[in-house]
Amino acid sequence: MNSTKKTKMGTLIAAAVALIAMLVLPFMGINNYIITLFCQAMLYSIIVYGLNFITGLTGQMNMGNAAVYGIGAYIYALLTTRAEMAPWFAMIFVALAGWFVGVILGYPSLRVKGVYLSLTTIAFNEIVRLVIQNMRFTNGVNGIRNIPSLGIFGFTFNTPMRTYYFFLAALVIFTLISIRFLKSKYGRVLVAIRDNIDAVESCGINLADIKVKAFVLSTVFGAIAGGMYASFMRYVAPNTFSTNLSISFVVMLILGGRGSVVGCLLGAFIITFAPEALRFLGDYYQFVYAVIVILAIIFNPNGLVSLGGRILAKIKRISVPAKRGANG
Amino acid sequence: MLTTIEQLLVTGIATGFLYGLVAIEYTLIWNACGLLNFAHAKTITLGAYIFAGTFLKMTGNLNIPSLLGAMLVMALFGALVATIIYIPLRNYARYIAIMATVMMGTAINEVCRLVWGVVPLSTQGFLIGTVKIGEVVVSVAYIYIIVIALLVNIALQIFMKKTKQGRAMTCVSQNKMAAALMGVKVERTMVLAVALSFAICGVIGCLSGPLYTVQQTMADMLGTKGFSAGVIGGFGSIPGAIVGGLILGIVENLSCLVVPSIYKDVVAFALLIIFLMVKPEGIIKANREHKVKEKKKKSAEEKV
Repeated sequence: MNSTKKTKMGTLIAAAVALIAMLVLPFMGINNYIITLFCQAMLYSIIVYGLNFITGLTGQMNMGNAAVYGIGAYIYALLTTRAEMAPWFAMIFVALAGWFVGVILGYPSLRVKGVYLSLTTIAFNEIVRLVIQNMRFTNGVNGIRNIPSLGIFGFTFNTPMRTYYFFLAALVIFTLISIRFLKSKYGRVLVAIRDNIDAVESCGINLADIKVKAFVLSTVFGAIAGGMYASFMRYVAPNTFSTNLSISFVVMLILGGRGSVVGCLLGAFIITFAPEALRFLGDYYQFVYAVIVILAIIFNPNGLVSLGGRILAKIKRISVPAKRGANG
Repeated sequence: MLTTIEQLLVTGIATGFLYGLVAIEYTLIWNACGLLNFAHAKTITLGAYIFAGTFLKMTGNLNIPSLLGAMLVMALFGALVATIIYIPLRNYARYIAIMATVMMGTAINEVCRLVWGVVPLSTQGFLIGTVKIGEVVVSVAYIYIIVIALLVNIALQIFMKKTKQGRAMTCVSQNKMAAALMGVKVERTMVLAVALSFAICGVIGCLSGPLYTVQQTMADMLGTKGFSAGVIGGFGSIPGAIVGGLILGIVENLSCLVVPSIYKDVVAFALLIIFLMVKPEGIIKANREHKVKEKKKKSAEEKV
């Protein structure tokens, strides 16, 4: 009891320190480009939170998150530029679009057991990219320019610095929602589905229903992140939302540690900054990156969050026999 | 109009056989290892590069030795990949293993870029030209695709039904535990299945080289449509793979009559989603439990 309280306090303090660090970070004399990267990483964190509900907890792989992200971005862009809708009002439609996509994709593919979700979502990603690319309404490959940014009380988030704080606030909100969801009835059922699917079914829980709900929540997260992206970049083009981006999201989740909020954050930030950190590799960057990820998956399949626990367990395993030896 | 339909049908059948081959290639790995090989598009590309970039140049455009050489190299590569990646990963959660195969695809793609360069290669004089059958103009490449796909299928069926190794592979795909208890070397069978699958990838790469020109993104669409073909035909079933491929090829080509041809790919993927909604088990059901249940039912009825 005491120890759980202690760890709770520890996590709270760690979270507070991280938050303060993030708050003062823009004043540490870093340039706009790095701030932009931080904004990107925060957006990706929100998407990976969503991905965590379905891929991280139930093990059903969603390979089409970039399409959901793209749909969110395009709906925001089209509504604010073509229909001249107020940005916040457009965000409501973005969230609705996320919900709709979740229902139409989740229902057919989560009803049946197997790997069908990965296959439908890959197909969906291609459909969305192709349709956006070829329709005149979305301005084809040229994309949409001059998208108005979101704002609050006449204060528009139009510089990287302002967007940084806006995204930070959004990230905190989504983190809280995500933690709440994982601790809720639904979150526990999802963990149970991962651990023993037959036991869950025998408890009389409607598996398909709960999976679809988790999937819908994940697509809503993705679509909202897309809307925020459009407001931040003020320009959207179809090539951004490729299958490769979807794959990156899953890599973030697995590398960081599935099922845990900290893991999602770690993964999103590491993968976003990886191209910068590995820039010295030049032409060989992609290859080295792929090999590192493969090795990380083979040797540490539960992600970076599990690394600390594994090292501790090893130390304990070494020290425990020594103690026994001393007693015996 | 009728000629157009005939023309589209022929194209559809040929591309259908190509999709079918792709579906067979990943079904082999799925059955043996329980893994989806998401790197298969890149594996096909690698096969095409080995064929066009290395063997054709080395042998001075001798087609058949180059094809066989590419198949052999791909099979060896498959055995290597199986031992390094697939076998260590088979006990992990499935999506982790799938992710490893995706990253392997990225690595293969980069190797292709670093070794053979970014300029697309051409397969000079390989499967070029057309033949006129009645009113319909058929490209030589299509005829070869159909013939070779049929040959591969027949060879695979003979291998699976008649040889000891092939029957071991079927056992492993049905029940790994029982197979191991019966003395089948499960890991060796898995290596063999992956090697076979990669060799088929090599064949697909060679055949699709003249159609899409050898470049890094040549097989991306092909790979994804191969997945659709597998689901339509029946996931995990080899005859289903060919049936699904043919349906997909014909439907997507005939759809050009109704919708603009840019949306041909959209039709193919929409077909996948429709099939999942209406008939998720596909046309030919692969599930063996189903067959066993039917047999039990029959025997029970006979007893009555």
